[in-house]
Amino acid sequence: MHIPDGYLSPATCGVFGAVMIPIWMAASKRVKKTLKVRQAPFLAIGAAFSFVIMMFNVPIPGGSTGHAVGGVLVALLLGPWAACIALTVALVIQALLFGDGGITAIGANCFNIAVVLPFTGYYVYRLISSNSPAGSRRRVIAAGAGAYVGICLAALCTGIEFGLQPLLYHTANGQPLYSPYGLNVAVPAMVLGHLLVIGWVEVLVTALAVKYLQKQDAVFFDGGRS
Amino acid sequence: MNKLLHKRRDFIERSLLSALAFLKDATLSEECANRKGFLQSQDPRFKTISFLAFLVTAVSLKSAVSIGTLYGLCLLLAVFSRIPLKHFLTRTLLFIPLFSLCIVLPALFSIVTPGEPVWTFHVLGINGIITRPGVDGAILFVVRIATSVSLVVLLSLTTRHSELLKVLRIFGVPQLFVLTLSMCYRYLYLFATMVENIFTAVKSRVGVVSHHRHGQKVVAWNIANTWNRTTHISEEVYLAMLSRGYTGEPRHLSAFHATPKEWFWLLCAVIICAGLLYKGDTL
Repeated sequence: MHIPDGYLSPATCGVFGAVMIPIWMAASKRVKKTLKVRQAPFLAIGAAFSFVIMMFNVPIPGGSTGHAVGGVLVALLLGPWAACIALTVALVIQALLFGDGGITAIGANCFNIAVVLPFTGYYVYRLISSNSPAGSRRRVIAAGAGAYVGICLAALCTGIEFGLQPLLYHTANGQPLYSPYGLNVAVPAMVLGHLLVIGWVEVLVTALAVKYLQKQDAVFFDGGRS
Repeated sequence: MNKLLHKRRDFIERSLLSALAFLKDATLSEECANRKGFLQSQDPRFKTISFLAFLVTAVSLKSAVSIGTLYGLCLLLAVFSRIPLKHFLTRTLLFIPLFSLCIVLPALFSIVTPGEPVWTFHVLGINGIITRPGVDGAILFVVRIATSVSLVVLLSLTTRHSELLKVLRIFGVPQLFVLTLSMCYRYLYLFATMVENIFTAVKSRVGVVSHHRHGQKVVAWNIANTWNRTTHISEEVYLAMLSRGYTGEPRHLSAFHATPKEWFWLLCAVIICAGLLYKGDTL
């Protein structure tokens, strides 16, 4: 889901960069209020945790493996605003230091992975779990559902961003200048893969991790942190 | 058949490889950044600004020839900076550009990109028509992505990562965010080693996890366990920072120093980008 440089036009990248600035400001303000001086070490280690989740390969039927993004799990553990910053930090490090995900596309990547994914996942979890006990099975199902909805919506947004490129940016003879597929191809290509395979990896990792954390410290899951 | 099954890497080996690849990449980058080369001798601020200018130019240009010129410059800079070319080309061409090439292949055909046909063929009763806009678009797409990835990787290989993160201050990124990034980067080493240790332990105690459901539980349990260790580390780091006088207002210790050589390099980069943006699309 990481969009590399060159897939999106500079104008699209600029728009998403502009959209993300107030979100980052709001997230910083919220996190500063709740974490105070503790915020730097907490967010840094939360970001390192989000980065490291991607190193865990999950076995899937058929003998293959996949890895989870873990955005919703991070949102459940840190709260959605702190997760937004932690995931942004992880994305910036991946793009700037390891060339994974674009620098010009950092705004779009952060919008999809650090905003859409944790916020939708977190609120789906809150909606389904509502007032259920902290150690209940319903919270595990809610976490899985949140992860599935979050990752599929993030994939939908990525598909729309790709699909708009040939409509908006092409030469006079129809040659696409950036991502070459329209909405009719880019959206199904992105969404179907996530609906059928990647979304389920995310569900498994999130739901099982929540289940284990519940066993160890059920009180932790009595609501988000921020 | 049995041999084939043994050759296939399971999730334990893949996770181990992910952690080791991170550590290997980070160590190699640091080793390259410490070499005595052209880009390594540049001030990180000027180098980052010039590379961002190259990157924006590569993304903005609409001619594959002009973007190819930037790619040539990138390779030249890699050679002058004593970066192992084989490693550089493998890292920059084998993953994202190759993946992008596979993605763009269907766009060569008239069914996706209509236009003037350049090649028509007939296979299994299906007429395939490759069009001029399809071919031109695919070349432009792949060349642009290869150039962009190469520029970013070259910047990362020739600048110490801690300095590269500090450079973000000049773009107005708040100090607290830069501090969080720097701390996170340092802890990545610790966490990658943690992942490596976890899976080495799983491998040595379990050997092979035969069923995927069991494997999924092992992974989820280890993610949950990593989180528990994360919160303990976070608390310890916070207390250590407090004991050293941290009040929530970070300060950085070292400053960068620019010489006329750096200004000259930046001027050259601006001239190259301006020239390509002005005339590049006509090439």
